[in-house]
Amino acid sequence: MHQETELVSKAQNGDRQALSRLVIEYRNRIYHLGLRLTSSEQDAEDILQETFLIMIRKIHQFQGKSSFYTWLYRIAMNIGLRKLKSKPHKYQHVSIDDPDIEKISSIAASEWPTFDYGQISEKRFRKKLDELVEKLPGIYRTVFILRDLHELSTEDTSKILQITPSNTKIRLMRARNFLKEQLEGLVAEEGLI
Amino acid sequence: MKNQNELYKKVCKYLGCDLDSTPCKQIQEYLKVCRNCKVYVDKIKKTVNIYKVADSCDQLPDDVCKKLFMTLDLNDSDHLEEFSEKD
Repeated sequence: MHQETELVSKAQNGDRQALSRLVIEYRNRIYHLGLRLTSSEQDAEDILQETFLIMIRKIHQFQGKSSFYTWLYRIAMNIGLRKLKSKPHKYQHVSIDDPDIEKISSIAASEWPTFDYGQISEKRFRKKLDELVEKLPGIYRTVFILRDLHELSTEDTSKILQITPSNTKIRLMRARNFLKEQLEGLVAEEGLI
Repeated sequence: MKNQNELYKKVCKYLGCDLDSTPCKQIQEYLKVCRNCKVYVDKIKKTVNIYKVADSCDQLPDDVCKKLFMTLDLNDSDHLEEFSEKD
């Protein structure tokens, strides 16, 4: 972290090598963020480029009040959300509810058998997973991506999305539950798990 | 805890936290005896894991990376990459 602070400071003073190193450090994560958010390689590439262009242009404005990656993720997230809004929805908005407590408690739940993780590398399966995420409205998708896929803390996720930690938790719980329900469907439909 | 529904609500609230954290020992204990809760939590964990594995399969394509550095007018030398790549 200390090394990064030094790197950011050098980059703020126009050190091109420091800028390069920051891009190298974060390029994969920003690309993945864009890919999961938009489910489009082209959009992910656009988000990647725009994020780092803005980073270079505005890094002198970064004051260190938050961590550097929080600042950078917020830039990427804003670009990504703008992109999402500008596109017609592929799927109708689904209703995202809290887990049905009565259902969980009353029906004898069946376990999923051991999952063959090798299947995930198949493009067809990953496409199906992407389609399920695409059904999630943006406000839930963003939390799921940041918290579960990028493993950011509740606090950092809340800062990036500018929502309260409680909201982050509720959205995450609903997103996880929604995806689980959707995966149940996939299991039944294709026997994938 | 007061009643079963209250417990289920807390289990759900717990699911908005880190899945491996221990925000509430009482809930962890309860999960041991509540089979449906255990199955539910296991499925949520598997769901997250499936997505994590799927996410790691996608790599930043080389051409996209090259284009990025060209656009930014920055240097993407192997030396720099060795220096700081963590993944």
